[in-house]
Amino acid sequence: MGCSSSLPDRNNGRLGVLSSENSGVADSKNLRVKLVLLGDSGVGKSCIVLRFVRGQFDPTSKVTVGASFLSQTIALQDSTTIKFEIWDTAGQERYAALAPLYYRGAAVAVVVYDITSPDSFNKAQYWVKELQKHGSPDIVMALVGNKADLQNNREVPVQDAVEYAEKNGMFFIETSAKTADNINELFEEIAKRLPRVSSS
Amino acid sequence: MSDSDSNPNPLENPFKSLSLNESQSIVANEAVERSANGDSVNGIASEEEEENTVGLIRAAEAQVDESSSSGVAWRENSQYEAEDFAPSSPSSSGYAGERGSSTGTSAGPIEEVGNDGIVRADSFSNAGAESAAPWVPGKRHLDEDDASISWRKRKKHFFVLSHSGKPIYSRYGDEHKLAGFSATLQAIISFVQNGGDRVKFVRAGKHQVIFLVKGPIYLVCISCTEEPYEALRGQLELIYGQMLLILTKSVNRCFEKNPKFDMTPLLGGTDAVFSSLIHSFSWNPATFLHAYTCLPLAYSTRQAAGAILQDVADSGVLFAILMCKHKVISLVGAQKASLHPDDMLLLANFVLSSESFRTSESFSPICLPRFNAMAFLYAYVHYLDVDTYLMLLTTSSDAFFHLKDCRTRIEVVLLKSNVLSEVQRSMLDGGLHVEDLPVDPSLRLGSACPHLRQDRIAPGSPNRFREVNVGIGGPSGLWHFIYRSIFLDQYVSSEFSAPLNSSNQQKRLYRAYQKLYASMHDRGSGPHKTQFRRDENYVLLCWITQDFELYAAFDPLADKALAIKTCNQVCQWVRDLENEIFLLGASPFSW
Repeated sequence: MGCSSSLPDRNNGRLGVLSSENSGVADSKNLRVKLVLLGDSGVGKSCIVLRFVRGQFDPTSKVTVGASFLSQTIALQDSTTIKFEIWDTAGQERYAALAPLYYRGAAVAVVVYDITSPDSFNKAQYWVKELQKHGSPDIVMALVGNKADLQNNREVPVQDAVEYAEKNGMFFIETSAKTADNINELFEEIAKRLPRVSSS
Repeated sequence: MSDSDSNPNPLENPFKSLSLNESQSIVANEAVERSANGDSVNGIASEEEEENTVGLIRAAEAQVDESSSSGVAWRENSQYEAEDFAPSSPSSSGYAGERGSSTGTSAGPIEEVGNDGIVRADSFSNAGAESAAPWVPGKRHLDEDDASISWRKRKKHFFVLSHSGKPIYSRYGDEHKLAGFSATLQAIISFVQNGGDRVKFVRAGKHQVIFLVKGPIYLVCISCTEEPYEALRGQLELIYGQMLLILTKSVNRCFEKNPKFDMTPLLGGTDAVFSSLIHSFSWNPATFLHAYTCLPLAYSTRQAAGAILQDVADSGVLFAILMCKHKVISLVGAQKASLHPDDMLLLANFVLSSESFRTSESFSPICLPRFNAMAFLYAYVHYLDVDTYLMLLTTSSDAFFHLKDCRTRIEVVLLKSNVLSEVQRSMLDGGLHVEDLPVDPSLRLGSACPHLRQDRIAPGSPNRFREVNVGIGGPSGLWHFIYRSIFLDQYVSSEFSAPLNSSNQQKRLYRAYQKLYASMHDRGSGPHKTQFRRDENYVLLCWITQDFELYAAFDPLADKALAIKTCNQVCQWVRDLENEIFLLGASPFSW
């Protein structure tokens, strides 16, 4: 299935160039998962994805337009592989109305905020509510506090986020796309929480 | 296309009627341009530093109050032109004085610029630095507001505001700090509107204030660049179009619901898009020609690209466009769908100025204002290499994976048929060079796409033939030309070469062309067929027929008869090359 590689070989250049993923091929050992990232503009959604998919971090801010599509495959210890098809959505207000286009049918939603910005935490809660109303009922939701490297400027206490995540049945993690802290852990944890089809 | 065949008249004929008097400025067909000579002098003067804009607005207000005739055009059909170019009236020079004093009070010792055309020495050194470093899109001078000296000195401001006076966009400075200034602009517009009239522009000293009202959205340009009113208004139209491309015209509904609606959050993150568009007003001829340009390619190469694009267009894609930077490689539209060159310009600007498209494949809503200003289309955008990108437009929001498959198919074909490597080669070779203009018709080659020519020395080679010509340009002192095919909606322009090396010189020529274009298309006195003018910078020659428009710049000392002959040679050259420099045939444009 395409040129996507498993975890050890992270820097595999442009993904998706050779892959043709219109077919819904998936068996119990090779899962394909639609994942959407939501959150305020500037919280680092694209940085998280680019760190995960290409192992890169670009400090210059590049505003996402509409949504970018990337994919990455990881291998789990039980020898299953999971191919994440990632929709990295734009955080700008004008795209909010179009979000359903991207989260429709998503198995995973990663809601991101910036630990130095209470506004972005509020926005994250807005997205959680929206997903609860309009997302797939069995969607796996992750709450991600990004920019954890900016500990000194923290304005969103860990405890607040933990409590909110528990109340809403999400799992919570703080990451830093800059230092790569917890980025792989985030996606591995998501992989573990995915409902598995018990099949032959 | 065979438009060339239908145009056998050589250029000599139209010019027979011209006096061959080589005095400072010769204007064909009853003096198209007002005081050509004086204008061109102003053209240089406009490179100097900006004057005080606040003073200017005060001048404008005062003029509104007085309903003074000097430089104010109220009515749609009023004779703004005569007023526009009338010599400064006592009242406007009075305002200029006022400008001076208000600058003095707020500026203090920083003020270095006199109001009467003294060019600051460092404005040239700045220009040099500018030409050395590549231009980077994005908003600058965010710290400025209307109280800043530097802000007031900017030569060309663009503002977008709502009908309630709320700032939406400003080229310089932070919109939110410009609320008072926006309110002033709004007051001027509504003052005139309340009288059942419409303000088109105000002239105050060297400044022009151009207004464009688009429903609840007002656009204003304040400029001392001496560009013609039509050109500046066209630029405001494009800025409005760019806004629609991002939001569609349905944004008007927000104002119907709430007149005080704040539109700035909706445009979040688009500063680079607008700054790049405004930058293109000073280098991209497409912004006033309303035509697009193609990357020179062998006919068969472009055909190969067109064929695969046509293939996907038949599978439900509305438009398939393959471009390299601002140049079209090929484009195809679904049946009956036609794409306006202005929409292409705005779309290419949007994609090229949004860095995120380069990172990964994207799927984004966009609106083509000339196609349908009310509705979003969905654009699949993917870069095939550093400069080459594919855009697939559809009306279906679910089409991403289909378009992704289309892209894969297209990419495979383009790689197999070497289109992408040909594109890169063409990028390196550049377009037409005036030095290569074949002077002797017997030496003309049938297929003479620049990079296909056998006798060409490889680019970068130190022995390049054309370097012998440095400082001379092409034959008969030809420096540059733009040829626009009217039926194709396409233009081709020669590469800039010596002596037009600096970006400032190029910008000046570009402005001269723009002026020439405006004067040739002037509704009041035009349309005109030919124009020949000479000033201390260039000889400019324009020739318009049913089939094409030719704009050419020569050395200011060029011989007129030779220049005319050379223009004929350019037209012949372009016709000989039309298979390579234009996209022919599968054009989606409906004539």
